[in-house]
Amino acid sequence: MNAILEQRQAALPELSPRLAEMKRRIRAGEHHRFRSTDAVDVLAECERENLDWTRRAARLTRRLCEAQTVVIEPDERIVFTRTVKQIPPLYRPEQLDGLLAGRTFHELGPINNICADWGMVLGQGLLARRAAALATRARLAGDGEAETFLDAAVETIDAVLELARRYAAAARADGRDDLAEVLQRAPAHPAESFQQALQSLRLCHAVLWLSGHYHCGLGRLDQYLWPYLKADLAEGRLAPEEAQELLEEFFISLNKDSDLYPGIQQGDNGQSLMLGGTRRDGGDGVNPLTAMALEAGRKVALIDPKINLRVTRDTDLALLANGVQLTRIGLGFPQWCNDEVVIPGLAAAGYDLEDARDYTVAACWEFIIPGKGMEVVNIGAVSMPAAADRAIRAGLQAGEGFDRILERAGADLAEQVRELAETSRKLLLPPAPWYSVLMDGCLERGQDLCHGLKYNNFGIHGAGSANAADALAAVRALVCDQRRIEPTRLIQALDADFQGYDALRSELCDGAPKVGNHDDGADGLLAYLFDRFADACADAGDNGRGGGYRPGTGSAMYYVWLARGHEGMREPTVGATADGRHKGVFFSSSLAPSPDVQVRGPLSVLQSFGKLDYRRICNGGPLTMELADSLFRGMEAVGKVALFIRAFARSGCQQMQLNTLNLDTLRDAQQHPERHRNLVVRVWGWSGYFCELDESYQNQIIGRHIYGA
Amino acid sequence: MPASVTGVVFDIRELTIHDGPGLRTTVFLKGCPLRCAWCHNPEGWSSEPQVLRGPNGDRVAGRSYRADELATILNRQAPLLADGGVSFSGGEPLRQAAFLEAVLERLEGLHVVLGTTGFAPMEDFLRVVRRCDFVLFDVKLMDPEAHRRWTGVDNRLILDNLARLADLGSAYLIRVPLVPGVTDTEANLRAIARHARELPGRPQVELLPYNRAAGGKYAACGLEWRPEYDETVPCRTDLTPFHELQVDARVL
Repeated sequence: MNAILEQRQAALPELSPRLAEMKRRIRAGEHHRFRSTDAVDVLAECERENLDWTRRAARLTRRLCEAQTVVIEPDERIVFTRTVKQIPPLYRPEQLDGLLAGRTFHELGPINNICADWGMVLGQGLLARRAAALATRARLAGDGEAETFLDAAVETIDAVLELARRYAAAARADGRDDLAEVLQRAPAHPAESFQQALQSLRLCHAVLWLSGHYHCGLGRLDQYLWPYLKADLAEGRLAPEEAQELLEEFFISLNKDSDLYPGIQQGDNGQSLMLGGTRRDGGDGVNPLTAMALEAGRKVALIDPKINLRVTRDTDLALLANGVQLTRIGLGFPQWCNDEVVIPGLAAAGYDLEDARDYTVAACWEFIIPGKGMEVVNIGAVSMPAAADRAIRAGLQAGEGFDRILERAGADLAEQVRELAETSRKLLLPPAPWYSVLMDGCLERGQDLCHGLKYNNFGIHGAGSANAADALAAVRALVCDQRRIEPTRLIQALDADFQGYDALRSELCDGAPKVGNHDDGADGLLAYLFDRFADACADAGDNGRGGGYRPGTGSAMYYVWLARGHEGMREPTVGATADGRHKGVFFSSSLAPSPDVQVRGPLSVLQSFGKLDYRRICNGGPLTMELADSLFRGMEAVGKVALFIRAFARSGCQQMQLNTLNLDTLRDAQQHPERHRNLVVRVWGWSGYFCELDESYQNQIIGRHIYGA
Repeated sequence: MPASVTGVVFDIRELTIHDGPGLRTTVFLKGCPLRCAWCHNPEGWSSEPQVLRGPNGDRVAGRSYRADELATILNRQAPLLADGGVSFSGGEPLRQAAFLEAVLERLEGLHVVLGTTGFAPMEDFLRVVRRCDFVLFDVKLMDPEAHRRWTGVDNRLILDNLARLADLGSAYLIRVPLVPGVTDTEANLRAIARHARELPGRPQVELLPYNRAAGGKYAACGLEWRPEYDETVPCRTDLTPFHELQVDARVL
């Protein structure tokens, strides 16, 4: 059987020797030798010229583009290697305090976690963007703020054009006329070929990072690039295999600088892209690039880009199988998004239908509209376990019945949302002239994106949900209904972290229904928590930026932080919980049955989580499932898992991560990291190199539910 | 059959790969009259619930269900199983024929596959297979003596049931577990191919390569894993004996 499987896998194409070598070099960090340790001082000239924030941001883009050394490796067809390591400050810390004046940055400060309208950028080219800026400047002459912004935007455009010009000149000097011609067109002019489009995207995207932005999305890549590839193929300018290789080189290039990107750990960098799905006009957006990108992801097998695939119950099984071939190798890609659920959910939340159909994901899973969203999708999390725990304790101490306990949990969530909403209204988004160039309408309106775009919502994670529902289910069954556990004894046991309460804890673990088994009782409590969370977000009003609050089902790192605490975190931590969970034990990541709970299988899990009303919880957050790689040992498995994806689309679930794991490999990697340097695992919204993760994160992954073992 | 008839199930697994077409949930019924030397589900032998002693603690294998209870569990999954259905395996599911029949009577719109050794009283066999959409019928060894030696039972009843199944015109195929030096011999595969060729409808044959994890659960069942064949030898997956006789065959 293994021989047959190997034959079959051998039939799947691998990277060309040229790209295999390129990948090896990048993983070995050989290109780091081009990096400069010199810090670029932007602050001094900004102070000298007394520049405002907008102009400082533009000056940063310009100076860092200028500081870039041109790097063209002999075998490269898509160029750009970052050589500037550090992003210098625009203000002194004490000046920043003054600028903030009681307001706060989101995370590190610079605009992040949004997605440009790359289709527009590739279609127009930067010279057209420049002309648009100048036209608006003429129209709004006298409007100082608009003039400043537009001058800043032009400064960034010119900086990128100059960087491209230097690359083109160096290519010419190297005898690389092929490359020089591409760079003379891209990104200045509208792309005229697939290679120009990829080069343009690589450069413009890299300059976002260079400007201090992070979690920079790539959006609906197959939609943006297909017109160029289609024309190339039709004109016979490019062979399909060559196009595939270019795409793979582009994917590899996205991994060059990822160690320089800020994130919780390396890999958490939001270079996400979306494939397939419904077009803006309602038609089917799947095109040949959809499958090509899935194949490229499988062959490149690195942490970037993070691939998402949109599906419906009618998605072609062959395309699903292509996606599953990527799932099989264990990167945690693609993340599957259900158009049947996501689009109506966004429409119900006030997005125009055409825009809703155009969604992509932010860094992890949060649904955003490329070019049209200045949304802050992760302002914080509600701790569902804390809400349940406080409700259980207060309710039981007051001698209340279960209905009242539930109401308390809902009220607690509402209070958490209110606090988050209040804090978030103080958010200050700094100017971002280069990012604004890449968005819809900023240059046309003469307004930086920091002042808002068409969509300006904030998103809140709903973390630890399964544990919270299980805790409530246990209290309902064992304390309220069956009266097997005395209320005071439960509270004592929780306070003691179950030390000396083994039998009671066993009852909590084994004697009550759990989320994930298609049990309407437990699942109903999960749905209740999300409903109340959604009510609270709806009641929270305007976020101060013309948007509202979107509830979501993701956890991000809060599955760890809400259990263990984290410096500077406002969200409440919780100790032992009434589902039998010990203090400090991680919650499930995003949507998944609680750790250590007996679950019948992946179909029951789909049915449990399909009961949520996702029209009300549209911030995103995937149902997360782990498959044993042994499941793929038979020839039929890829087809079966493709059918499972179709069942996901039917189930009413919104989004799903399917990760393929081999426990023996993971354990061996803990013992012998040197043997597993390229082992990639999905952590939450991102995938990272297993051996580079903190041990606690490694252990959490090892402890997840694994189906099909 | 009454709803209250009970049966013992040792596992319900979702997303099973080799138990029939499409997306499937498989119910493993406990109890088997055969003792195949290569069996990888020894907890399926006894008809009673039993304690498995694993490295991470004990667990009970086998739970009693009422027929209506099990049918409800499966029917509730029907919306997701439109591309497949449910399968019954074991153990030998026909060991609990009355229970199985009671469950099958209560299934609503689910495609049903039976995986069977074929070793069951003919009346039980026929009553159940009439309610199934597809049968995966195991044929292990054609030689009666070898069959007795390696499975503990005679193959006469099995081959009779197979003939009746073929006569009924049921949809079915033949499954051959490939065990190195035991069932994967050229003589045995040729004999199976000849037999299949003569059956009405000339069924497809699927060869199931040997699983080296076969012995994995023996210790937990309090049994010793001591195969009398060399499991380190790769099993032969040669389809020639089938193709020579125009029997459709494939390796899983």
